[in-house]
Amino acid sequence: MGFMNASASFTRFQITEPVPSELWAQIPDKLKQFAFQEIEETAEERGWGWVCYDDMLDSFWRTAPPEKGEFITFSLRLDTRRVSAAVMKKYLTLAIREEEKRIKEQGKKYIARERKKELKEQVQLKLRARTLPVPAEFNAVWNIQTGIVYFASTQSKVLDLFAEHFSTTFGLDLEPLTPYALAVRLKGEDIMHALDNLEPSRFA
Amino acid sequence: MSDTPYLGQTTDVVLGQEFLTWLWFRSETRNGQFTTKDGDTYFMYVEQRVSVQGGEGETLETATVSGNLSELREARLGLSMGKKVNRALIRIERDPEAWHVTLKAEDFALGSLKTPKVEKADSEDDDPDAAFLEKMYLIEKCLAYLDNAYGEFLSARLSSTWTEEVKELRQWLENAG
Repeated sequence: MGFMNASASFTRFQITEPVPSELWAQIPDKLKQFAFQEIEETAEERGWGWVCYDDMLDSFWRTAPPEKGEFITFSLRLDTRRVSAAVMKKYLTLAIREEEKRIKEQGKKYIARERKKELKEQVQLKLRARTLPVPAEFNAVWNIQTGIVYFASTQSKVLDLFAEHFSTTFGLDLEPLTPYALAVRLKGEDIMHALDNLEPSRFA
Repeated sequence: MSDTPYLGQTTDVVLGQEFLTWLWFRSETRNGQFTTKDGDTYFMYVEQRVSVQGGEGETLETATVSGNLSELREARLGLSMGKKVNRALIRIERDPEAWHVTLKAEDFALGSLKTPKVEKADSEDDDPDAAFLEKMYLIEKCLAYLDNAYGEFLSARLSSTWTEEVKELRQWLENAG
């Protein structure tokens, strides 16, 4: 999902507090500190972090620096392992049958609930390690003059992850510019009282 | 954001839906013309695709109507039955340029924003960020036009003349129906 595409879908955020002036120089280092780390050789379900805006395979900003004009640019890369439900079902059934055979020899009839849960976790882990993570990339553009951050997604889970990782990285909180927040930004805090007491209009 | 309600959520829905509904009315009754504080004139239309929503909880009902150059009659009918616009495709024109964007009422999520075309760099000597900077300029321009219209809505909505505006809006609905 990117801003250079023919059409872009995104969410607008504003930074809710003043940016400490010493932060600007630290941004490249902070991005590297919280950069994406490959999960291909692990069994992790999800991995995320920052990558270079111009190349999602670059977590060291060798391709281009994050600064472009009055903007700081970077992308959130989110890799996810998705094991197909049908594959999971097949291997769980196989594991359970094997376990049944094994406990029969010990004279037992049923697999304990705890043991079943354990088997499921083992199968999940084994399959995950064999599944390639699917990469996804979401552009972020931070206008340093206005304190507005554009993030190229409208999916609430990805937005939550982005805002959280942004806050961890820079120590700054993001607020989505919903109708209420945008109204306060455009018209000032004086209108908050009027907005809080707003009664819906009847157009019909 | 998340599924849990937050402070201002209901206000978000009220403001967002009333803005889009007003924008449709306003764009049709005044030739779509808007002017920024700096005197920059542009045109803004709600067109081709509109969703209207009414009721709540289990009675929540949404109707999406689309069509080229259609009058979106079904959506208007929905409005006259008390529904409000909850998503609309907006076209912004400032000669010779045009933008398209879908705006969602409850959170102002921006969907499929299309800017005027950005020229690719001609030679390697050009600033490698030139295309990006132009694209961002065009995106921010579109947002400034949207914000300007929203600001105009807010001024009307929070002033004593709002009841007059609502009367006019009802009249528009009756005439179109």
